[in-house]
Amino acid sequence: MADFSWVSRSPLEHALVTGTHGARGVEAGVSLTEIRNFDLIQVMARRGQAAELAKAAMARFGVAAPDAPKAVQTSDATLIWSGPDQFFVLSKGSKHTMQTLAPALSSPASLSDQSHARALIGISGSKARIMLAKLSSIDLHPEVFPIGSAAATSMDHTSVTLWRGGNRPDGQALFNLLVFATFAESLWHTMLDAAAEYGVDISHSEELA
Amino acid sequence: MAGAQTHRLDKGGLIDRSASLNFRFDGKTFSGFQGDTLASALIANGVKLVGRSFKYHRPRGILTSGSEEPNALVELRTGARREPNTKATTAELYEGLEAASQNRWPSLRHDVMSVNQLFAPIFVAGFYYKTFMWPAKFWEAIYEPAIRRAAGLGRAAGVADPDHYDKAWAHCDVLIAGSGPAGLAAALAAGRSGARVILCEEDFTLGGRLLSDGGTIDGLPVAEWLSRTLAELAAMPDVRIMTRTTLFGVYDGGTYGAIERVNDHLPSPPEHQVRQRLWRIVARRCVVAAGALERPIVFAGNDTPGVMMASAMRTYIARYAAAPAKRIALFTNNEDGWRTVEAALGAGLQIAAVIDARPDVSAAYRSLASKGGFPVLHGSVSGVEGGKDGVRKIAVSLTGGARAEVEADGLAVSGGWNPAVGLTSYHRGRPKWRDDIAAFVPDGAPPGMVAAGAANGDFGLGACLSQGFAAGAAAAHDAGHNGKAGTAPVADDEAFSLTPLWHVAGKGKAFVDYQHDVTASDIELAQREGFESVEHLKRYTTLGMATDQGKTSNVAGLAIMAAVSGRSIPETGTTIYRPPYVPVAIGAFAGHHRDETFHATRLTPSHHWAAEQGAVFVDTGLWKRAQWYPRAGEKDWLESVTREVKAVRGGVGFCDVSTLGKIDVHGRDAGAFLDRVYINTFSNLAVGKARYGLMLREDGIVYDDGTTSRLAEDHYFLTTTTAKAGLVMQHLEFCRQVLFPELDVQLTSVSDQWAQFSIAGPKTRDLLKEIVDPAEDLSNEGFPFMGAREVALRGGIKARLFRISFSGEMAFEISVPARFGDAMARNLMLAGAPFGVTPYGTEALGVMRVEKGHVAGPELNGTTTAADLGLGKMMSTKKDYIGRVMAGREALVAPDRQVVVGIKPTDKARRLRSGAHIIPKGQIPGPGNDQGYVTSVCFSPTLDQWIGLGLVERGRERIGEVVHAHDPLRGEDYDVELCNPVFYDPDGGRQRG
Amino acid sequence: MRIVCPFCGERELGEFTYLGDAKPVRPVAGASEDEVFDYVYLRDNVAGATSEYWYHGGGCRAWLKVARNTLTHEISSVEPALGAGAARVGA
Repeated sequence: MADFSWVSRSPLEHALVTGTHGARGVEAGVSLTEIRNFDLIQVMARRGQAAELAKAAMARFGVAAPDAPKAVQTSDATLIWSGPDQFFVLSKGSKHTMQTLAPALSSPASLSDQSHARALIGISGSKARIMLAKLSSIDLHPEVFPIGSAAATSMDHTSVTLWRGGNRPDGQALFNLLVFATFAESLWHTMLDAAAEYGVDISHSEELA
Repeated sequence: MAGAQTHRLDKGGLIDRSASLNFRFDGKTFSGFQGDTLASALIANGVKLVGRSFKYHRPRGILTSGSEEPNALVELRTGARREPNTKATTAELYEGLEAASQNRWPSLRHDVMSVNQLFAPIFVAGFYYKTFMWPAKFWEAIYEPAIRRAAGLGRAAGVADPDHYDKAWAHCDVLIAGSGPAGLAAALAAGRSGARVILCEEDFTLGGRLLSDGGTIDGLPVAEWLSRTLAELAAMPDVRIMTRTTLFGVYDGGTYGAIERVNDHLPSPPEHQVRQRLWRIVARRCVVAAGALERPIVFAGNDTPGVMMASAMRTYIARYAAAPAKRIALFTNNEDGWRTVEAALGAGLQIAAVIDARPDVSAAYRSLASKGGFPVLHGSVSGVEGGKDGVRKIAVSLTGGARAEVEADGLAVSGGWNPAVGLTSYHRGRPKWRDDIAAFVPDGAPPGMVAAGAANGDFGLGACLSQGFAAGAAAAHDAGHNGKAGTAPVADDEAFSLTPLWHVAGKGKAFVDYQHDVTASDIELAQREGFESVEHLKRYTTLGMATDQGKTSNVAGLAIMAAVSGRSIPETGTTIYRPPYVPVAIGAFAGHHRDETFHATRLTPSHHWAAEQGAVFVDTGLWKRAQWYPRAGEKDWLESVTREVKAVRGGVGFCDVSTLGKIDVHGRDAGAFLDRVYINTFSNLAVGKARYGLMLREDGIVYDDGTTSRLAEDHYFLTTTTAKAGLVMQHLEFCRQVLFPELDVQLTSVSDQWAQFSIAGPKTRDLLKEIVDPAEDLSNEGFPFMGAREVALRGGIKARLFRISFSGEMAFEISVPARFGDAMARNLMLAGAPFGVTPYGTEALGVMRVEKGHVAGPELNGTTTAADLGLGKMMSTKKDYIGRVMAGREALVAPDRQVVVGIKPTDKARRLRSGAHIIPKGQIPGPGNDQGYVTSVCFSPTLDQWIGLGLVERGRERIGEVVHAHDPLRGEDYDVELCNPVFYDPDGGRQRG
Repeated sequence: MRIVCPFCGERELGEFTYLGDAKPVRPVAGASEDEVFDYVYLRDNVAGATSEYWYHGGGCRAWLKVARNTLTHEISSVEPALGAGAARVGA
């Protein structure tokens, strides 16, 4: 009997090469970090159950789930608006999975596992915003898109979820991007092309930022 | 070695004399300075002849100093970077620049095509419509190539552009076009008010006419005011100044297009940088401070090299310290033209004479003339003597009828100024006529836009500053910013008195549109022939249709038409203005989307494993799919595919089918919802079972198909075809949100969550037993045909297993979370090794589906009904569903419809090809007896011959009939037999076993 | 062109897909062929104010009813479809 191993392989594993890319001799203007192996559950209110879902979410997470394009930080998860009466629960370490969320939320909401359906990329650096302007039609000016803002939008004709997390320790803005897994490599290359002129620092991490 | 810059002034100019640059024009080496344009550097070197005209190959020089230039078009750069029709007046000089003149042979000075001038009578307006009407076949063979060679612009590089372009978005409260006094004042006001500002300037230096015209602002010389203002703007974090950027269009909802020439001023872009960038700017308000364009006067010989716009001449003198001529005559109909005289005298150049068409000249200029010792002639220029070496002598008709001659090597012309009304008119706006300046000015603008300063017809420096400032402050206020704007910069207004003069009658060609060689007599001819409407005039004479879009010619053309048709200019009207304001390279619109990155691509979870196996990939929509897996020694695709099919039919194989659309359908009413979108019933599907479903469009035609499984009471897992995945999701959301909002249903795409593999062949169960947890019962009883449930796999992960078959074999589809897709492919190879498992691609998949008679894309082609596909029995009669009523229409249930049938050549050795038409045997093929066509074909390794499916009239009633396949595209005719579409295992024993 | 999605805010045209006239209402089950025919095919070619369905597929996946003037392209209102989100309306 053969010995089967189930190695989890990120959709960016082939394309992502750790190190620097693009312009050299300058401090990298853009940092790209892929976050691997996360749990991502889509929560959608059942018909007429939006208020009940809000209550259940508050009980479960201790904070109100977003009812507008925002990302909310809880003690151990990020709740990201993904459309009317629906949000994502992003977490690590099996804290919020289909199994653990169902008892709390499945009465007012339907749940769908998206943990493998997306790649998650953290984008920061002094040129992050100007690079994103090549990919995103959204206005990311800090007054328009402050910390905690989220958007269900498109980049390169590909649906993405974009939100601004807390600033990095050096004060730089951090943008988080969820992209469909089968589009991830394509968008990754597009992003590298867009960022190359500023110099790119590429890494991956098992930790949510 | 470059020659001396014979026409470079000793001092002045915004050029860096310490940075000398060598460049080549038509193979000859010259030198210029940093800060020069190609045009100013040519002028500094005394070059007057720079091109040949479009139709008549007349020698042409430099007319303007900006993007409105009609004459001085060159091929810039060489090899793959060669770009035709580049304006020498805007091309920045760089070390090693190479440019060549266009539309001449063998050389610019000796152009044999200038004989066209002798044939000028046939090249008049409407030439194409009047000439070479017959014989028709001569057109393609002789006339067109000959004319194309004779009349034209530059040559394209002919090879792929090696440079990169990209596109970007920008957002602001106030967008400003132009950095002249009005634009800078607007930026100051808006920026101080706290607005986010973007200012676009097409030039590489900020300041607009301030750079050429000088003056005093706020008591300071303009240069000082300019540097102070730019410093203030640079200190505002939310004011963004974009030079080398032309605002070229305005679109709905406050979206603007701009082209930034990021690296056009360098020989080639630095590594990782783009050549040009296309900007889409979203702005709440826009201030158009794009200035005005000086317009020529139409007179005989007005295209002689050395005849130049007066404002351009002082730009070359003041900004570039380059003298277009050493003894200059001015022909003007307005006060502003005289400023060129001041500039020329200031630079130590000689003034030969001023020819002023107005009855009076101001006292100040009269005394300037007497001090300068040059005559002021009241009258107009009626002819120019000269040629490719430039102007020699100017003929003047004096008011009162006498004639005079002036010796000069350059003629500055000012016919007044036309506000740049393009941007304000791009939403079908029609500018209005203003008599005092004899020019069109904006009459309203697209929402949120306003014109200020010269673009609004107010030319004085003081007016530009105050209007620009007010417009900037108002725009910021409208966008919600009310910070202290302070006070507007102050300057005096220059006098502007003008007596309109458009055309001086005389002998010889008088050009209106220089680039398209349209003359005053062409316009007169068009009027005589009835083409009086401006839109007719434009198309009949091609006035204003060249790459400059008539920036220097349109208004003069209208004025001449107005005069000959006895109407006023406003009565004559303008043509519709359309973007782009300047030509924009297609490459910039394409941006990143070219070659391999033409569109986004999707990769299956096992893509890189398949690549390791040497799979050949095929583009299927956005997807790259493994088409087949060639092995060493196989001579072609058919051999590989045949092996793969045989391996599946005789053993076991697997294929990544993750490209299918997958949708989670949740909710109390999920079953009822599916009943309405499918023709068959899903509410009665048992949990743990799958069912094939077919969707119609509301018009009764088949939309999509796939299997849908019920995983829980309120949870279905729906699959779509690869091609329609996105559209079906959109359709289902429409049904959910618009048609049936009363149902409790939630839809989520899980296409990317699951890696899905089809495992097929008689040894499928053997393979699965290796990899599935032994506790799972995979027997026919424990996991019957169309079963669907979660199973545990060895090694600790869960999978979903579906007993469905597309190949007709004993088969399962297995889904694992996508990040395990790569491992799944490897583990299937491992588990299947004892049974000779074979990965197969989409070709083998297609062969097996044709053998099994399953319909796919070529049959679900947007014209077929469920009954056409042989699936009519699935249509429920007990419920309403999308498309039900329309599917019952007479034509859609007619007995003579073309329906799916099997097709095989009677000659077993013959290849069947899709697209062949089916004709009754013994008849001559024609539209009247065309009974359908072959939709899908394959070589069937199982039957050892080519087989296919087709849509054939009454096909199902004609099984066994021999008909004729007619393939005019490939020139083939042969007999085929209509047969049961299920070629393989028609009773289905294998997939159920 | 830009559309103000009631859920996402103002977004560019590329995120949306146009479907068509929002006026025709799908006939109830059992409607006649003529009624359904009109629903499927009969459209006014309006020069002026229209009501259209647009899909924010590149964003929140809501179906929207957009009031737009075909002469000026001006959008006067954007409303979500009745069943967008968890369908509070009429729940």
